[in-house]
Amino acid sequence: MRNKSVITEAYQIQVAVKLIELGARLQLLQEETSLSRERLLKLYKEVRGVSPSKGMLPYSTDWFMSWSPNIHSSLFMDIHQFLVAHAELSGVEALVKAYCLYLEQINVSGDEAVLSITRAWFLVRFFDAKMLQLTGCTECTGHFVVHADELYANYICGICRPPSRAGKTNKNGRRSVSLNTSPAI
Amino acid sequence: MNTNQMHEEIKEANLSYMLLARQMIQEDQAAAIFRLGISKEMADLIAGLSPAQLLKMAASNMLLCRFRFDEKLLLNMITDYNKDRMMSQAHTTILMTGRPMEVLAA
Repeated sequence: MRNKSVITEAYQIQVAVKLIELGARLQLLQEETSLSRERLLKLYKEVRGVSPSKGMLPYSTDWFMSWSPNIHSSLFMDIHQFLVAHAELSGVEALVKAYCLYLEQINVSGDEAVLSITRAWFLVRFFDAKMLQLTGCTECTGHFVVHADELYANYICGICRPPSRAGKTNKNGRRSVSLNTSPAI
Repeated sequence: MNTNQMHEEIKEANLSYMLLARQMIQEDQAAAIFRLGISKEMADLIAGLSPAQLLKMAASNMLLCRFRFDEKLLLNMITDYNKDRMMSQAHTTILMTGRPMEVLAA
């Protein structure tokens, strides 16, 4: 697609820069902006200082189902749907705004962002394709990401009923060990 | 606190609330709608208020904002959750997005 208008192109570049800053992969940029691949490559190198990573995008709906990713993606999707419904945003604007708000929420509680913008973009596309949906938890009434068209009569979310080893990743374990040993030194 | 003092406090709270809301909307409307839990119509209206109108509104004896967590569960969550409970902040946000928002009656 060729851009005729300079103003439109300037806007597209702004969007692309924002997406690159948030960590978007090149494939996402190509889909969401009408800039050519060469321009995007140049832009990417200018913003990040390195070439974009190559290879396939993480394409799986199952990733969104494990405990921590599910909560993060539910949070993002709830914000996204809220913005689409009430703030009259759509497309890439809704994606960027929802992702920024998601990052902000995660930073407040001092957690690490598990959901990357590329995954968030896939999440929105999976919803558009009706491969995933939101369903209400019967205990807390919050809405969570689940596979579409399965039975969720008594669905209870991962926060109300966390699995026994939830949140105890290798990384967390190591951090607590180093915290325990540091006063001794 | 006597009644006069209370009215003064309410007016002060009203004024800071209105100023904050207006500033939030002017800076980033979509994010403000999300954070304040108001409709776009209402956001447009608040952003369009003149300083005189805003002052007049804030001078009311009634509080202009009200509690958004009108449900026992949400109230418990905000007040009682501690660090041990995982992802409590995220949980609160997830529940808040599902709440009905303040809209202007027709």
